[in-house]
Amino acid sequence: MLINFICNGERKQLDVEPDMRALDVLRDVLGLTGTKEGCGRGECGACTIIFNGKAVNSCLLYAPKLDGSEVSTIEGIKGPDGGLDPIQKAFLDEGAVQCGFCTPGMIMSTKALLDKNHKPSEEEIEEALSGNICRCTGYNKIVKAVKKAAENE
Amino acid sequence: MEYLKPLKLKELFTMLKSSGKYGSESAGRGKYIRYIAGGTDLAVQIRDSGIKPSTLIDLSAIDELKGLSLKDGTIRIGSAVTIAEIAESKEIPACLKVGALSIGSPQIRNLATIGGNICNASPCGDTLTPLLVLKAEFELASDSGNRLVRAEDFFTGPKKTVLKENEVLKAVHIDKNNCTGVSFFKKIGKRNAQIISQVNVSVYMELNKDKKIVKIRAAAGSVAPVPLRLKGLEEALKGAEVKDFGLEDIYGFVNSDIKPISDVRASSDYRRRVTASLIYDILEEAANVN
Ligand SMILES: Cc1cc2nc3c(=O)[nH]c(=O)nc-3n(C[C@H](O)[C@H](O)[C@H](O)COP(=O)(O)OP(=O)(O)OC[C@H]3O[C@@H](n4cnc5c(N)ncnc54)[C@H](O)[C@@H]3O)c2cc1C
Ligand code: FES
Ligand code: FES
Repeated sequence: MLINFICNGERKQLDVEPDMRALDVLRDVLGLTGTKEGCGRGECGACTIIFNGKAVNSCLLYAPKLDGSEVSTIEGIKGPDGGLDPIQKAFLDEGAVQCGFCTPGMIMSTKALLDKNHKPSEEEIEEALSGNICRCTGYNKIVKAVKKAAENE
Repeated sequence: MEYLKPLKLKELFTMLKSSGKYGSESAGRGKYIRYIAGGTDLAVQIRDSGIKPSTLIDLSAIDELKGLSLKDGTIRIGSAVTIAEIAESKEIPACLKVGALSIGSPQIRNLATIGGNICNASPCGDTLTPLLVLKAEFELASDSGNRLVRAEDFFTGPKKTVLKENEVLKAVHIDKNNCTGVSFFKKIGKRNAQIISQVNVSVYMELNKDKKIVKIRAAAGSVAPVPLRLKGLEEALKGAEVKDFGLEDIYGFVNSDIKPISDVRASSDYRRRVTASLIYDILEEAANVN
């Protein structure tokens, strides 16, 4: 079936199988492999994208749901000068990235948070990232990075 | 797989008629039609079972299923309203709000709907005990008209409801008169985030100024095949003061109400004790509200 949507600011028209997931559309059809598949069942957050302004798990979203929507993925995240977004800079500066598998999802959840809350408390940060699992960092550095990004935005 | 996305209920009913039979009974036997709302239960079920419906009907774009409003003393929540919207709404009583906020993660709550939580009918669904103690009514729609079913009468077993094959859950109604008191939700599970409840409890109370319980409705989830009103406990607490009873008393009251199963998640006695502890905590909290 044909779906029309906006992905990272660009209009897309694609012919997809209805049982594909948004995750497959992004990775396999559009080649946007920054969005990761960890668990495939809504538990790890590695597949997080921003869908109509809200963070969602792209592994639970059937492709037809993309029709008429606006989506951003990690590939669409950039700073005003086209370089790194303040969130990305903060993650690097704070050493919040180790293997990096969770990072795109963490950054998308952070982006969704900071878009509606410019000064999140530590509790609000932890809540916003509660659907994103990291097996490497122990989260402290990630929370610090989010705080720093909030200050620098 | 065919994917349909009606914009009106009327369109949905026409699709149901022309697509054949709705429901899981015909799974694997030819036509197999399922509704999908947020998909957070269904996508995982389809993945785990490997059984793909031949048709998915997406309910999320249907006008009549949208919107949360307060009108003529009734809170109306369209079945396609998301759990995140409920958690953020000012109209929603505390127990339902807290229950909604306890579901999954932000990503899950942004997709998940209240209709999906209700119709999935898991004994541990976190909006179900709140809806029971708020005396919610469910509006079911079909092409032959609408009917109202009390939340208490809707669930018939794990994953089983009174919903007929040609019906859809249209909206949840909560009478404002049933939420003038204070209400609480508590759950316990194995992990902090993304807990699937092992036990969840909701209590609604109307207290007088001496903290005497004038009215009480309590319910527990995951302790029986369906979310359950705790009538014995309600009877015992009515007229008492919130601080009158200790944990062992509560355990005694709860014991007569519930017959939980033992499963991989928890033993039966653990569930009973946890239910009592959660109720006890709620009463303590109620003692401290002004
Ligand atoms: C990682 C993860 C964590 C979760 N954590 C929790 C939790 O903590 N607590 C909890 O309660 N749940 C939890 N869930 C389960 C799920 O998110 C909720 O039950 C959610 O509310 C389901 O809503 P949905 O719109 O996504 O349902 P869907 O998956 O779209 O639908 C669920 C079922 O209901 C039917 N249905 C949906 N809408 C209607 C309607 N209007 N009329 C008739 N039938 C309908 C569908 O056919 C399907 O059978 C979790 C799920 C995941 C993946
Ligand atoms: S891959 Fe989607 S949540 Fe894990
Ligand atoms: S950096 Fe490895 S999972 Fe987070």
